[in-house]
Amino acid sequence: MNGSSLDITEVHSGQTCVLALSGRIDSTNADQFTACVNRLFAAGEKDLVVDFKEVLYLTSAAFRVLLVATDEAERSAARFALCSVAGQVRELFEMGGLLDLFTVHASRDEALGHTP
Amino acid sequence: MATRPDGDPPAALPVTTELVIGNDLAQLPQLSAALERLGEAHGIATQPLYQLQVALDEMVSNVIRYAWPEGGSHLIHVRMTVATGRVTIQISDDGRPFDPHDAPAPAPPQPGQRSRPGGLGVHMVKQIVEQLDYTRADGRNCLTMSKTCAVGAPPQATQQGR
Repeated sequence: MNGSSLDITEVHSGQTCVLALSGRIDSTNADQFTACVNRLFAAGEKDLVVDFKEVLYLTSAAFRVLLVATDEAERSAARFALCSVAGQVRELFEMGGLLDLFTVHASRDEALGHTP
Repeated sequence: MATRPDGDPPAALPVTTELVIGNDLAQLPQLSAALERLGEAHGIATQPLYQLQVALDEMVSNVIRYAWPEGGSHLIHVRMTVATGRVTIQISDDGRPFDPHDAPAPAPPQPGQRSRPGGLGVHMVKQIVEQLDYTRADGRNCLTMSKTCAVGAPPQATQQGR
C-alpha cells in the first residue's frame, strides 16, 4: 500500500484549468504537485484553480508549492486560486497561518464564476 | 525496515510500533503507512490521525533534510505508542543537534519571494501536538511528541480526559 499517494486530475473548463487533488500532499509527493504546476505555467496557463475537495491532509511541503505558484502567477499575470478548502484541510491552512495569502473560493463553481 | 512490524495488535494498550528508516524521503511512506495501520487498528478518528501524519512528516523530513549536512547514509528510529487517550511519537537520530523549541516562528512571506517560509512545519507541529519534548543524549537527538485523542474506546465508555 502506498501511504503517500496523491492523484492530480486536470480539468479544463472554459479558460480555466482546474487541478483536482486527491489524497495526501506531503514531503514525499509535493514535487509531483510542483512539476504539474510548473508545466502548466510554462505552457502559458493563465487561469489555474486548485481544488482541495478530495484532499485528506497536507503538510508545509504543499504550502511551499502554493506559495511558489502564487509568486509565479503574479510574475506571469495569471490567476492562481484555490477552492473547496474545508474541514480538516482548512484547519491545517489555518495552522500554517497562510489562508490570507491565497485567493480561496468556497467551491469549484464559485471559482469558475458560476452562480449557485 | 520495520524492526517490529505491526501485525494484529492486542487489544491491551499501550501498543508500541518501532521502525527504522534511512535518511531518504522515499522511505517516509513506510512511516505514514505504519501510523495509518495503528490508526485503523485502534479506531483513532481521522482528524487527530491526519494531524499526527502531518507532524510525523514534518519532523522526520526535517531530520532527513537538515540533520546530516555532510551527507552519507544514516538511520532514523521512530517509535509510535498508542495508549489510552493518547498517541506518542518518538523520533531519534544521530545528526547535528536540533531543538525545535529554538526554531524561530516563520516570518510572514513577502510578495514576490514567498517561496521558503522557514520554520513553517515546526510551527504547525507546535499547534498539532500538546507535548513536544527534546533531549540530546549520547550524541543523539530524541524528539517526543504526543497528542490527546480518543483511542478505540467505545462511545459509551467514560474517559478521564486530560
